[in-house]
Amino acid sequence: MHIPDGILPLPITLGGYVLAVSVTWACLHRINQREDPREGIPKAALLTAAFFLASLIHIPLPPASVHLVLNGLLGILLGPFAFPAIIIGLFFQAVMFGHGGLTTLGVNAIILGGPALAAAALFSVHTRVNGPSPGKVTAFAFLAGVVAVSFSVLLFAACLLIGMPAHIDAVVERSALTLLVLSHIPLIVLEGLIVGLVAAFLFRVRPHLLEGL
Amino acid sequence: MALKRSLYQHIRQVVPLRQRLTFGGLLLLIALANGLSLSLPVPLLAHGALLKYTHTAAITVQAVYDTGQSMTGAQITVYAPDNPARPWLTGISDAEGRFSFVPDPDLPGTWSVRARHAGHGAMVHIPINPEQPEHSLRKQGYTAGQRALMAASVVWGCIGTALYFSRRRTS
Repeated sequence: MHIPDGILPLPITLGGYVLAVSVTWACLHRINQREDPREGIPKAALLTAAFFLASLIHIPLPPASVHLVLNGLLGILLGPFAFPAIIIGLFFQAVMFGHGGLTTLGVNAIILGGPALAAAALFSVHTRVNGPSPGKVTAFAFLAGVVAVSFSVLLFAACLLIGMPAHIDAVVERSALTLLVLSHIPLIVLEGLIVGLVAAFLFRVRPHLLEGL
Repeated sequence: MALKRSLYQHIRQVVPLRQRLTFGGLLLLIALANGLSLSLPVPLLAHGALLKYTHTAAITVQAVYDTGQSMTGAQITVYAPDNPARPWLTGISDAEGRFSFVPDPDLPGTWSVRARHAGHGAMVHIPINPEQPEHSLRKQGYTAGQRALMAASVVWGCIGTALYFSRRRTS
């Protein structure tokens, strides 16, 4: 789910950068309002490493080979730190392995980071309203993981459909894209399970690591 | 004669009419076919055809994912050096992700080939010099060891950051 350089037209990449910069600014502003803004940095740094590595591990889930995204996990563990963490992870993935691209960094940050923030909001709102219990935490963490990856897949497909160049055979590309979206359904469930299990484990041993509890 | 006649009557009694007719028709067809091939001239010789060949340098690109999986059915766009904005040739890669084309020899310079499949893709730039033909097999990407080292260095950077910010403040 990383769009490489040269696939999208210039207006979309520029729009992605503008959006990504404004979201980063909003996240940093929220982090700065905390008592100790530096407190969350070690956790964010370690999860950035996890996010960076996740895209290198390919899982052969038929009919395609997909990689873990973990943006839901970053969302529920980092809250507002998730977006800057994802930008840094994406930057290193693009520079080191050509996974994504520098011109599409903004668009990719919105595709992966936006749903991470949505997952964080979903997780924190519901546990706060109903009061945390192991069952609820696990269920909402599962939901957060599912929502994050499915939103990312849909945003990815939407960006490509909007920015389809004229010389490309649109029918072939659209059917390939549909297959790609469908092949991510097992991954969506897997990510939900991973986020749910991690949240259930952390709720028992270190509940303060979960953002928004 | 009597024997011949009795044999005919015997066949007539034993072999039903339909089979006899079929057998006869088959013989007739074979005879007709023989006659035709002997009497009519072979039409292929009527128009003389020649195949000429020239040896040209074609370029084959192979699109693969970094997992090693072939990019089957990828949309290939070739850009000539004189106009990098307008596609010179478009096509679809085969089952192994391969696509071949013959670049125009009158257009020396850097040819660009882009492969695209469901939003994934890559671009390769191929320098073509007519005086100095280049026979090379170029490959993009890193070895597994290089990739592991690169990943480890980034992870170590993240761990270092985490350690730096988690130390206790002295003040």
